[in-house]
Amino acid sequence: MTAETIYLLSGAGLVGLAFWRLGTSGDVIRRVLALNVLAVGIAMLLLAAAQDPATVDPVPQAFLLTGIVVLVAVTAALLALGERIGGDCDE
Amino acid sequence: MTLALDLAGIALAAAGVAFLLLAALGVWRLPDTLCRLHALTKADTAGLALVAAGTTCLLPSAGGALSLVLCVVLVAISGATIGHLIGRAHQE
Amino acid sequence: MSTAFDILVALGGLACAGIALVAGNRIGSVAAFVIMGFFVALAWVRLGAPDVALAEAAIGAGLTGALLLRSANRLGPVREAGVPIAVHGIAACLSLALAGGIVWAFATGTAEAVYPSLVAARVGESGVSNPVTAVLLNFRAWDTLLEVAVLVVALLLVSGLAPVRIAPAPPSELVLPFLRIVVPVAVLLAGHLLWKGATAPGGAFQAAALLTGGGLALALCGLLGAGRRTGHVLVLAGLGGLALFLAAALGAAILTGGLLDYPAGSAKVWIIAIESALTLSIAAMLVSLFLGPSEGVRDDR
Repeated sequence: MTAETIYLLSGAGLVGLAFWRLGTSGDVIRRVLALNVLAVGIAMLLLAAAQDPATVDPVPQAFLLTGIVVLVAVTAALLALGERIGGDCDE
Repeated sequence: MTLALDLAGIALAAAGVAFLLLAALGVWRLPDTLCRLHALTKADTAGLALVAAGTTCLLPSAGGALSLVLCVVLVAISGATIGHLIGRAHQE
Repeated sequence: MSTAFDILVALGGLACAGIALVAGNRIGSVAAFVIMGFFVALAWVRLGAPDVALAEAAIGAGLTGALLLRSANRLGPVREAGVPIAVHGIAACLSLALAGGIVWAFATGTAEAVYPSLVAARVGESGVSNPVTAVLLNFRAWDTLLEVAVLVVALLLVSGLAPVRIAPAPPSELVLPFLRIVVPVAVLLAGHLLWKGATAPGGAFQAAALLTGGGLALALCGLLGAGRRTGHVLVLAGLGGLALFLAAALGAAILTGGLLDYPAGSAKVWIIAIESALTLSIAAMLVSLFLGPSEGVRDDR
């Protein structure tokens, strides 16, 4: 089993976990956490797919760097919105 | 010579990991916040320092040792400060 | 040996993600999320992406963790409405199917990697030798420009919502000496990472994350000034980075005719100038996203 396969499986696992939680939780912070886990899982998938021992593929890496910074901004905005509505998503 | 250095490195790192495990065990099993802090702050810093010392022995060149030293110093300082802050917050 | 390590890291990340998403204790779940960030950063070092791993450890784990803790403190304990067991079952089945589908798609797909050879062929003209920085600030600088615009939009949204501003704790005896050592070291390391980013893992985002850490340490001890002026300076610094990036894009377009197509030979000067401005402005925006808008702007609810 190569590193690529292992991390591919773990990325898929993270995406699955995040979707399950997004579908079943009504708590703002849990949903934001699930969104973050989802992003990490997708990043893991992209890196595992780009993995090649011989060469480094810089394009997915640059996208992920951008994605990480955008995600923290989105998280801050969502949390500010969540604090404003008092923490319940479904009311 | 290299073999002795490698062995020393592995022994130091293993000792560091043992310290970290003890710290984790302490945080898990000890009864209250102050006891846990007592276990965590010291064993954690010592464990990291030992792991860094072990890694320095295993490094191919001496240049990387500088960043490891910086790392250990920063963790020691912040560990002490955070322990102090948690202890204070606990008393209030 | 290394396979065992990979499996441990992958399982550790998954387990921490599970704890973060199910734990009933807010602090525990955020702590598990932060630890997951470090497992993931380790995994990405193993996958040959140290730039992304650095950013994930500093921003994904550190800064997001701090944001979540801040909101957890304000929102109180977890309030779950209690979803029927059937919904749980359906969601679990669908998620499993999705995860299985992803594994199948990635395992059977046989796309040839096209970018590495293209980037390797042109990296010499980009002005920097770290291919990731070359992509971020030369080949796809357009994306980075839009990313800064996204940060500005998020900052405007947060300012509009006017969340409660953080009340700093009075600093105790040990905190001032701590800050005297840590903040200068953070600034130094940020400069180092920014400069090293041209040739080695590092760059504007990682440097900005370090500066943000230093800024938050100062602000949480009440030393950054909680007044209206500091807030305005931070927002202006954020907007200034975007303005400078836009000006650079326009200037490059006038000089060479291509958008963010730097004049030949001086690409490194352009990249370092843009990166320095970006570092300061991203750090300023992240600090104000964490702290909320300046005092006095907020209305009484």
